[in-house]
Amino acid sequence: MTDIAKHVIDIVKYRVVWLCISAILLLPGTVALIYSAINNEHHVPLKVGIDYTGGTILQYGVNQKIDNNDIAKTRTDLEKAGIETPLLQVVHANTNVEKSEKNNLQNIISIRTKFIGENSDGVSKITEVLSKDYNNPELISVSSVGPTLGKELFKNSLLALGLAFLGIVIYLSIRFKFDYAMAAILGIAHDVLFVVGAFSLLGIFYNVQIDGLFITAILTVVGFSVHDTIVVFDRIRENLRYYSKKMSFGEIVDASVNQTLARSINTSLTTLITLLALYFFGGVTTKDFVLAMILGIAIGTYSSIFFCSVLVDFWEDKKNNKTSASKPAALV
Amino acid sequence: MKNKIIMFWAIVIIVIASIATIFVKPTKLGLDLVGGSRLVIEAETTKAIPQITQDVMNRLQFAIENRVNKLGVAETVVQQIGEKRLLIEIPNVTDLKEAKAFLGETAQLEFKKEGKGPNGEQIWIETGLTGQDLAKSTLSTDSTGQWVVSLEFNGAGSKKFADLTRDLVGQQMAIFFDGELQSAPVIREPIYGGKAQISGGDSGFEYSEAERMVNLLNAGALPVPAKIVEENTVGPTLGADSIAKSKVAGIIGLSIVMLFMIAYYRLPGLIADIALLIYSLILFALFKAIPVTLTLAGIAGFILSIGMAVDANILIFERTKEELRAGRNLFTAINSGFDRAFTSIFDSNMTTIITCVILYLLGTSIVKGFALTLALGVIVSMFSAITITKNFMHLIFGTGELKYPQLFGLHKEEIGKSFEATETKRENARFGILD
Repeated sequence: MTDIAKHVIDIVKYRVVWLCISAILLLPGTVALIYSAINNEHHVPLKVGIDYTGGTILQYGVNQKIDNNDIAKTRTDLEKAGIETPLLQVVHANTNVEKSEKNNLQNIISIRTKFIGENSDGVSKITEVLSKDYNNPELISVSSVGPTLGKELFKNSLLALGLAFLGIVIYLSIRFKFDYAMAAILGIAHDVLFVVGAFSLLGIFYNVQIDGLFITAILTVVGFSVHDTIVVFDRIRENLRYYSKKMSFGEIVDASVNQTLARSINTSLTTLITLLALYFFGGVTTKDFVLAMILGIAIGTYSSIFFCSVLVDFWEDKKNNKTSASKPAALV
Repeated sequence: MKNKIIMFWAIVIIVIASIATIFVKPTKLGLDLVGGSRLVIEAETTKAIPQITQDVMNRLQFAIENRVNKLGVAETVVQQIGEKRLLIEIPNVTDLKEAKAFLGETAQLEFKKEGKGPNGEQIWIETGLTGQDLAKSTLSTDSTGQWVVSLEFNGAGSKKFADLTRDLVGQQMAIFFDGELQSAPVIREPIYGGKAQISGGDSGFEYSEAERMVNLLNAGALPVPAKIVEENTVGPTLGADSIAKSKVAGIIGLSIVMLFMIAYYRLPGLIADIALLIYSLILFALFKAIPVTLTLAGIAGFILSIGMAVDANILIFERTKEELRAGRNLFTAINSGFDRAFTSIFDSNMTTIITCVILYLLGTSIVKGFALTLALGVIVSMFSAITITKNFMHLIFGTGELKYPQLFGLHKEEIGKSFEATETKRENARFGILD
């Protein structure tokens, strides 16, 4: 036996353990998804933002401390002013970046309401209420999405995701084998389920809503997940060419995963460093987007090492069992 | 070696060209960074136009472009998306009322005559003379110094106006602008010659009011009404905040990554860092040259593509280290390291590009920006890793044996103890293995 069998992680030996860990990782999110799907309005498993439901979000910059009582008061004031079911949220902004005059937003209050059409004075009503409750609130952003557009966007997003899956399956089937493509797709499903589940949990506990950028984050996770998986598969493909006569398939999988281990970890690490920097020092508007990618890349690394390669190994085993059972004579 | 030196100078020229581009060309920043308004409007059918055809959309776009240009703001965008929608972006105008005043209104000018309703009350009846019959309008003052809007009718309009005023002598004729009564002068005599004036009634027009009216009339009426289906405004404060923070985040992230590369991969890590800086220069120059509008999502795509560029280098170095451990000389190890890593890099980047293409085709404009920067980044990163890093590695390490394994973060004892791949003859030739 050659040195390539020397390794740090036993993938094949503990394959049942790895699959169990995957199951444990996915369980809370899946439960959250099912729970939300039953309890949420319209039975959507995630808290969706106005990009998908339609509505209006106003953001005000306020240079003073805000506590929960202030928010509760503003909420009742808004309801008195005739704004139906406003959702208020305080987004904390970093203050210590650049203390120029324009750049000292302390808190951002975000108010979500039903779609405020062009012929409504909803915006001025809300601004009026805010001006009473706070010192010089500055309207820093308004976004409105009509209800029909929201639905269309949702459909388009799912279509994009479906097409991306299809494109990847076709490409991998051509470049590798259909088995590998399926393992990679299951790996993607694994990672996407984890991230979506995590956001479902965040939606339940912290009222985090997904917006138009979320689908972008998911698609990036898809890209990265496949990226990682391909590096491992590429190594398996290469090792099979040289060692398929000397080693069993399982040994080759083990060796390949271990050979690519340093790369898998280093790459994820460097990407995570940039993303963490974006998360902690970047703007407020992209925080959730970056968080989705951080979760996705972490789980993507796990799945490429412990999930996809295990799947390929399982299938290969099954195939071998079948061929040896049905055609014993061929082996003699 | 001669090829390598030519290549090196080619890289130098590319870098100089990139730096020049960065200095000469302005950066196109998206609305979320500079602040501004973004509207999506949807054309609606009317009785007269029951179907929105491409021709209607073209006319609508033309009319809207005219109006938006009247705002005097640079870098506005009016773009058709889908079958019946227009995307309008107006940088720096964050007052939605101001933005909408030009877009939401249909600038309908109507001349109406007096009539009696069923209960004997005064109502205004359409005469068929509208803004469509105008040739142009200008801003002027009347004899008392009040601002007025002067109208000049086209051929058909002149005739209609003459007929109408002849019929209405002694009666009031009302002028409605966007459904609002502007003035209702009494016609004293038939007006020939196709000219008329709108005064602001008793109170007169404010200058700005009259000017806005003239602009809207000249820009032409919208062929069909349009409703706003999506709107976004970002104040300049939030934009500035985001730019400042993204810059800080980018610099911190990139610095840590570069330090990590040097700490882990030593000299090759430093080479990769230089390649990475060149990569960022080229990509940034490309963004300016194309030009790609940089949005927050776009910057995220850019930073992510840096991650992928680093990945390509990591893949290559890991393979090169393996080859060195197997006891190959430097030239062979670098070549085969690159060659073996290439299939991984290519296949993984292809899937990223596939995803980007799908996103670009189906996504909203935010997502499009992200997909475009990421795809460009991935393509440039392949060039950077395979051409720049490889070239520098060859030039610096040359062809000899590996004398100082610590330059690669390896130990002397490791060399020659690792696996040895059995190459085919073709591969031997390609990697330059002579043994």
